[in-house]
Amino acid sequence: MARPIPAWLAPTSLEEALELRARYGEEAIVVAGGTFVGILINQGLLQPAALLALRRVRELAYLRVEDANAAGRPLLRIGAMTTHRALERSPLVQRGWPVLASTFALVASPRVRNQATVGGVLADADYASDPPALLHALGASVVARSPQGQRLIPVEELIVGHYETSLRPDELLTEIQVPGGLEGAVYRKFRSRSSEDRPCVAVAAVRREGRLRIAVGAVAERPQYFPEICALAAGQPTIEPELAREIGERYAAAIDPLSDARGSAHYRRRVIAVEVRRALEDLNRIIAARGGSQSHA
Amino acid sequence: MPEPGDNTHYAEPDPRVTGAIRYAQDVELPDMLYACVVRSPYAHARVLRVDTSALPADVVALTPDDVRSLGLYGCQIKDQQVLAVERALYIGDPVAAVAAATPRAAREAAELIEVDYEELPAVFDAVEAIQPGAPLLHEDLAISDNDAAYFGMRPEPQRNVCHHFRIRHGDVEQGFAEAEVIVEGTYRTPSAQHVPMEPHACLAHWTPEGRLEVWTGTQTPFNLRMDLAGIFGLPQEHIRIIAPPMGGAFGAKTFVRYEAIVACLARKAGRPVKLVLRRDEEWLTLNRHPATIHVKLGAKRDGTLVAKQVTCWVNTGAYADCGPGVAQKMGFASPGPYRIPHVWVDSYCIYTNLPSNGAFRGYGATQAVWASERTMDLLAERLGLDPLELRLKNVLVDGDRYCTGEVMHDVHFADCLKAVAEQIGWQGGRRGKGLAVLLKGMQTPSRASIVVEANEDGSYTVHCATAEMGQGAWRAIRMLAAEQLGVPVERVHFPVPDTDIVPYDTRTTSSRSTYMMGRALVEAVRQLKENGELGYGECVNEGGLDPDTGQGIASTHWHQGAAAAEVRVDEETGKLEVVHLHTAIYAGRVVNPPAAQLQNEGSMIMGLGSALFEEITFSEGQVTNANLSDYNIPAADDLPRLTYELIERPGAEIHGLGETALPPVPAAIGNALFSLGIHVRDLPLTPERVLEASERRRAAPV
Repeated sequence: MARPIPAWLAPTSLEEALELRARYGEEAIVVAGGTFVGILINQGLLQPAALLALRRVRELAYLRVEDANAAGRPLLRIGAMTTHRALERSPLVQRGWPVLASTFALVASPRVRNQATVGGVLADADYASDPPALLHALGASVVARSPQGQRLIPVEELIVGHYETSLRPDELLTEIQVPGGLEGAVYRKFRSRSSEDRPCVAVAAVRREGRLRIAVGAVAERPQYFPEICALAAGQPTIEPELAREIGERYAAAIDPLSDARGSAHYRRRVIAVEVRRALEDLNRIIAARGGSQSHA
Repeated sequence: MPEPGDNTHYAEPDPRVTGAIRYAQDVELPDMLYACVVRSPYAHARVLRVDTSALPADVVALTPDDVRSLGLYGCQIKDQQVLAVERALYIGDPVAAVAAATPRAAREAAELIEVDYEELPAVFDAVEAIQPGAPLLHEDLAISDNDAAYFGMRPEPQRNVCHHFRIRHGDVEQGFAEAEVIVEGTYRTPSAQHVPMEPHACLAHWTPEGRLEVWTGTQTPFNLRMDLAGIFGLPQEHIRIIAPPMGGAFGAKTFVRYEAIVACLARKAGRPVKLVLRRDEEWLTLNRHPATIHVKLGAKRDGTLVAKQVTCWVNTGAYADCGPGVAQKMGFASPGPYRIPHVWVDSYCIYTNLPSNGAFRGYGATQAVWASERTMDLLAERLGLDPLELRLKNVLVDGDRYCTGEVMHDVHFADCLKAVAEQIGWQGGRRGKGLAVLLKGMQTPSRASIVVEANEDGSYTVHCATAEMGQGAWRAIRMLAAEQLGVPVERVHFPVPDTDIVPYDTRTTSSRSTYMMGRALVEAVRQLKENGELGYGECVNEGGLDPDTGQGIASTHWHQGAAAAEVRVDEETGKLEVVHLHTAIYAGRVVNPPAAQLQNEGSMIMGLGSALFEEITFSEGQVTNANLSDYNIPAADDLPRLTYELIERPGAEIHGLGETALPPVPAAIGNALFSLGIHVRDLPLTPERVLEASERRRAAPV
């Protein structure tokens, strides 16, 4: 027959999963929540020989906080198979990284969030997903493991292009690490259609230790971050309106946006300038509301 | 005794909730096979060769050679064969089909069929398709003998026009000469998908005696039977259509869809064959007509309308389906519910190489109201008049003549307008607010008939062809019967319609069923009470329009409604937020209030989707958003404050309300934007379009 049924590999331990991953490499598509792979297969865009399903690898679904390290920051460790819904509803996350909880709550619908996983959304590297831009701005990293060992990859180096990551064919993304120590963080999702749609323009802005980091998502093949523009705000406790406007305009000029059904490149450029500025205004408010004191996250 | 409107006696468990309901897609027969359709990847191509040699022996294939000798079909124009025999006319046009033991085996077998094509030039835009030199889709345009071809059609065969409908009323040139102010503009509405929860599903089976039996989700069992009879050269009574309840239809499940393909496969296989579409195939099956409408409207300085000229270019896609009817209804809805002495309408139903477009909740009115009611607000602005006052000054009242020449009766447009204006707070300031009014015809002429039978156990059975698609028609008819028979509604049964048993009905479309069947029922119950056993009743509405002048009776019964919207705009991004949406529709008398309310809410939400984001996108004829991730429909969080009223009058007739609230919604929202100086002519009202229009406003001197 034209399309053989793909082999369904369902390891129950991480060790077994790593071994299968090493053995099959790119021949086996990794399935986490399946919300993305399922669509690709149904649309005939993906015809894998094998599927490596991680659902039964229970040890990959966890949320843990590590106390302040040498740099004085706590660290949130998220198992790759943690669902969006679990993250969104975790009191641990809501307390320590409220922006993570509120951003994951904006993804698609509860039906999707009950399936989709944090590791999956990063490994898909889909330009129109919400979490990558936020995790990029938060300075998150992922743990990539293979039978040979493990390495830590910053999110900004993980996503290298459209649906393209720097994961090697024998590696599995097993954990996401999000450092705390935030003074303020905000995620703005601008939708041009339904509330359940993906963003037309997404802006994540994070301030940590006096440094600003803005990542713009859904406008190009990977989240867009310009350290030299963010540096304009260095050392300024409050970003003045003029500066916020300037940073927005500079981001808009620096990005070469794509066109899709959610908006043309021209339109996106306009919205980037507005939404980056608004994100900085939001950030000012958040920081001011906390009386300028450093919050836990 | 139950009262219509009283839902406290709703003692039966709802089979949709318990799971007991058997939808069309749930029907199964022993030994049945599953079908899959092979579709053209080209928008226009000659079909050179269909090679099935790679198929496994147990797969049944249907190719053009199997259907070449069968009859042409089409509910209004006979322009379709069971498969694309000579030429495929759109991306997705069925060129072959298979039946296999499982759905998966059928899908895989379909991929093994090789088809050779010779690509031909294609055209996708309706205005371009009638230019000289445009590719011609159909050589001959024979008018159908199906009774869905109920009006005079005027095809223009050599220019892709399958119907040209006209209204010629008064002297439009003189009218514009008398006008002191004239506004004009061109408005566009894109294609949209019905997105019924249940996709198209059907099952066909041939009895040993050579009768064809079809179980299918259909709103039109009798029209379907007529076309199948023509295809197979059978007397109609040799065909039996059974119409189980549907999980939504909205116009998509009308006339012949896949029943002919499945029947051919079943005949060849000698076994029952079933087809349930994949979701993406819905976009290749039937969509809403994209329309371009040009409106020119002239008035006196005091706001009195004097002349209106409208041209509609209605894109029906590759096959006419009921496009001529949609173009006609769009044509006679476009003057709007106003007294206008001089009216000139040309509505062209035009072939293009897109998937077929057909009936869609609103049936041409959505497109017409978008163009017409937006123009009314332009005129109001030009005259410096309140848009509500301008409408009330011109709106039709009982005894007025419409531009078709018919005298209007039982019309309540002014009441609907006043009601929505009040609820939106019109007097408190019009900024950010807009309203629109709708007139929509009901199927005329048409006939409904019904049989009521007394059972041994004291219960009754209603034999009726009305289709249940979630709109609650079966329940409403049972409630009316129960009321007239003086029994609880649980004692009135409504079996699944079967054309071997039920008497004739035109079809379940145009919001006609409760009204027409309700009237037929009166006589049926009267007869039954007389003889104690059986009663038959029918309701006929007569009328029709002269296709060359548009004069006559467009509708014996008008659907009337108005919508008002309040909006806010993010001026920096163009993002439009609907704060409050209110509709008022004339219901006359409501039979089942909860169902009627839900129907109306559903219409409003569908209208909101059309206003804000629903649009099928194409690239060279290829649908590019045939899934529910790329094609958005409204989600719960998208809903504004939704309020509505169903206007009733003591002793009034039942008025259909399945579609009424939808068409005025986009226009009301567009007019609310216009009150902020933002003039968008094309639907949907995307932030990008709104931003562009708001910049045009800033650039222009006010």
